[in-house]
Amino acid sequence: MSASASAPSRAWHWLREHAVLIIGVLVVIYLLVPIAVIFFFSFNNPSGRYNFTWVGFTLSHWENVFGIPELNEALWTSIKLALLATVISTVIGTMMALALVRHQFFGRRAANFLIVIPMATPEIVMGSSLLSFFLILGNPALGFNTLLIAHIMFCISFVVVVVRSRLIGFDRHLEEAAKDLGASPFTTFRLVTLPLIMPGIFGAAMLAFALSIDDFVISNFNSGTTVTFPLYIFGAFQRGVPVEVNCIAMILFGVTVLAMVATTLQQRRAEKMASVRPDQEEEIPIVVSTVGAA
Amino acid sequence: MTSARRKAVVSVGFALLALAAAILLAACGSGIEEPPAEAATGKGNEVEVEAKPSGDLTISNWPYYIDKQTVPDFEKATGVSVKYIEDVNSNEAFLAKMKPLLANGESGGRSLMVVTDWMARKMHELGYLQEFEPAAIPNFEKNLADNLRAASYDPGRDFAAPWQSGMTGLVVNTEKAPDVHTICDLFDPKYKGKVEMLNELRDTVPLVMKCEGVDVEHATEADWLKAIEKIKGAAESGQIRRFTGNDYTTDMSNGNAVAVIGWSGDAVQLQADNPNIEFRMPEEGCILWSDNMVIPVGAPNPTAAEAWINYVYDPVNQAQIEAFVNYVSPVEGTKEVLLKEEPEIANNKLIFPPPSFTKNCSIQPSPGTPKEEQKINQAFNAVLNG
Amino acid sequence: MAALRSRVSAYGLLLPGAFWLIVFFVVPLYFLGRLSLDTNELTYYKFNWHWQNYSDALSLYDTQFVRSFIYSGLATLICLLLAYPLAYAIAFKAGRWRHALLLAVVAPFFTTYLIRTISWVTILSAESPVVEVLEFLHIVNNGRLLATAPAVVAGLVYNYLPFMVLPIYASLERLDTRLMEAAKDLYANAATTFFKVTLPLSAPGVVAGTLLTFIPATGDYVNAEFLGGPGNQMIGNVIQSLYLKQQEYPAAAALSFVLMAIILVVVLIYIRFAGSEALMGEEGMAR
Repeated sequence: MSASASAPSRAWHWLREHAVLIIGVLVVIYLLVPIAVIFFFSFNNPSGRYNFTWVGFTLSHWENVFGIPELNEALWTSIKLALLATVISTVIGTMMALALVRHQFFGRRAANFLIVIPMATPEIVMGSSLLSFFLILGNPALGFNTLLIAHIMFCISFVVVVVRSRLIGFDRHLEEAAKDLGASPFTTFRLVTLPLIMPGIFGAAMLAFALSIDDFVISNFNSGTTVTFPLYIFGAFQRGVPVEVNCIAMILFGVTVLAMVATTLQQRRAEKMASVRPDQEEEIPIVVSTVGAA
Repeated sequence: MTSARRKAVVSVGFALLALAAAILLAACGSGIEEPPAEAATGKGNEVEVEAKPSGDLTISNWPYYIDKQTVPDFEKATGVSVKYIEDVNSNEAFLAKMKPLLANGESGGRSLMVVTDWMARKMHELGYLQEFEPAAIPNFEKNLADNLRAASYDPGRDFAAPWQSGMTGLVVNTEKAPDVHTICDLFDPKYKGKVEMLNELRDTVPLVMKCEGVDVEHATEADWLKAIEKIKGAAESGQIRRFTGNDYTTDMSNGNAVAVIGWSGDAVQLQADNPNIEFRMPEEGCILWSDNMVIPVGAPNPTAAEAWINYVYDPVNQAQIEAFVNYVSPVEGTKEVLLKEEPEIANNKLIFPPPSFTKNCSIQPSPGTPKEEQKINQAFNAVLNG
Repeated sequence: MAALRSRVSAYGLLLPGAFWLIVFFVVPLYFLGRLSLDTNELTYYKFNWHWQNYSDALSLYDTQFVRSFIYSGLATLICLLLAYPLAYAIAFKAGRWRHALLLAVVAPFFTTYLIRTISWVTILSAESPVVEVLEFLHIVNNGRLLATAPAVVAGLVYNYLPFMVLPIYASLERLDTRLMEAAKDLYANAATTFFKVTLPLSAPGVVAGTLLTFIPATGDYVNAEFLGGPGNQMIGNVIQSLYLKQQEYPAAAALSFVLMAIILVVVLIYIRFAGSEALMGEEGMAR
């Protein structure tokens, strides 16, 4: 507009033009700083037990990542727990999503409500109510089993929401075509429906896994004497968190980010090949759509 | 839907139903809403006296409370294989966690646990502990320090064997808080926001009572509540930065706090990080306590637990632990061993305190009746969660 | 016939999940309510219709309740102010960096929550460079940032920010940019376009984001535990301590129950105002 703008006003103009982006980048930096600190301090060589001030660079903790038996045990418990909870909650959550999207039946609203309400409940209420339940029943075996029950419980809703959003954008003509070609309903489901909603199911499973392996609040109430990875960290905070915890956190981080990038790429390729959803020009990463849908 | 698939769905449903039903059935033991059955007495538990300890031994202890060598040495000497877990971070939280098990006569595989005096008493009163077999622990009978022989709650030392003793007093950064010498000094506005106290009722409140001039071993409910009121005021004014467990050491080492109520052994270890940090005997005196090895009912291997107690009560073995842990050793003869090997430790008055050093100290007191205890506890926790 | 079969299979599909949620979510809520009416008999708890637990617990811990809602309300507001520009930038300004930025937003999810919070303890401790800079600028006195209310709120903002960004992004991303162009063609200035077109159309995302932030933040206790002092404890800390340390189960259950009730009421009122699509959003997504 004003070609005669002086240098400062041009700078001001540039700033105005990009203000949103600049704020955005600053916020992203804010989000990433703690992760950078965790990474940075995984190379620290603390003189005492406290990994809070920078002392010197060492690789020894990375070389010795699995050198703390208690930590390994906690990590292994967490992984086992997360895998089991993921598989079970994904299966029953997907079934529920199918029921809700594909069928009209009495009680549908109630079922919807049942799925939404756990997501609107603070974790501390879920954790404490489950503990009350176990305590009044007199269950002596607070531990892995009760953790598994709890983790499946809080994962189901998220699985349903993710898979459902996938099913809603689903073109049923493909199934009808399969049926017209003589496929039985089961074959149709296996060969047409399942592959098409698979990215949704996979995304749901990833979300369930992430929720489970990271859960602290509900686990803290229902773990009894079992120790998961987050519970180990909580206990260790009292006496100084070992540097190896930083290393393991970074490994978990790396693996999940890679998995996510891989799924996004794979998903995009699948979309391109099938182009079943022509209205959606660019796919957003699964986890994003997940939380977005929630 | 094909019948095959429907069948599959139905059977999954039934499997889940069955699983849940099994869980519910298994759960129908005695809940917390029934009065506990007559306390299962430790004595009644038939303990088979084996000639030789063997098998597995699971020990629950506090973190950083043992050196790296003692466990393998013990395994080599006895053939027992040890699982050593550091899962006690707070007496209360540990009891809350273990209670559902212990009330059913189980211990989650543990044969030995380490808890502070008052918790040992409480667990014993609840019927959760077994008595020792004196014949299996000759070193304990012989080498237990004289001043620990008759605990008020266990006069015959039948169920609680001290693991380490210690003092609760001041931990001070001498550079930043040179003139903190009394508990009362912690309330000096000069140190506002740089003072911390322990979240353990029986450490913090008695010391504050001492500042108030109360004879803590004969303190009344009103004395406790008055001290708690004082602490509350300091918390609300921002004088007290945080109430902590062991993690006050973090705040001391990175400068967040300059004077705190803390434990003697930690201070010795903290000097490794920062030479300016030291334990100071408050002019009012300190609180003396012991953490005790106890054998829970339902312990799978009490014989091995006793072998462990016997082992650590050998002064030579004890010296090895002491050199790392730096609390006060309950084992007679340890000092003599250390004098030869590590005189610096043997002459440290925090580790082997002479009577003149602890002359104003008091044995850790507890509130009187359970009702009073509950009330005092509530008041204190209301301050912690302010 | 087909309809009947459909219904049967619907119930079959629904059964395991519904069963799990009823037995392990709804039924426990009943037990929570029941426990909240017990009396503490020191060695056991007795069901007594003891409503006094509620008045006792509330009169003892009303400050923490109010504080929790203030902290989480503030955190939600700050999250919104930070998240909207970020989501907007990702949706419309980032170009080919879009995926990278999205990944950066999601990344914190994949680093253990507790470690991230502890990492703030490192960043904010008295001798860290951050605090020294703030001290130099006289924003912070006495080297103290940790164990204060701002630290707790900042921790909440940090931990729940992605929950705000993603739904807003998702709704912005779905937005038809032609509408914004049309507004421009009609000579609306940037601000008018934003307030009359963009913001209303992204409202479902804002509503979902605020709920996803506000609900968990209110019940949070990890941030106050690590980053707060004695004057900053939230209701979650109290419930946690009463359950896991003091074994004052009835009082704890009463507080937990009240927390749930208040949040439900707040959410329902909010949804009344903001429309229900966000929470019950499935039909909205079908579009």
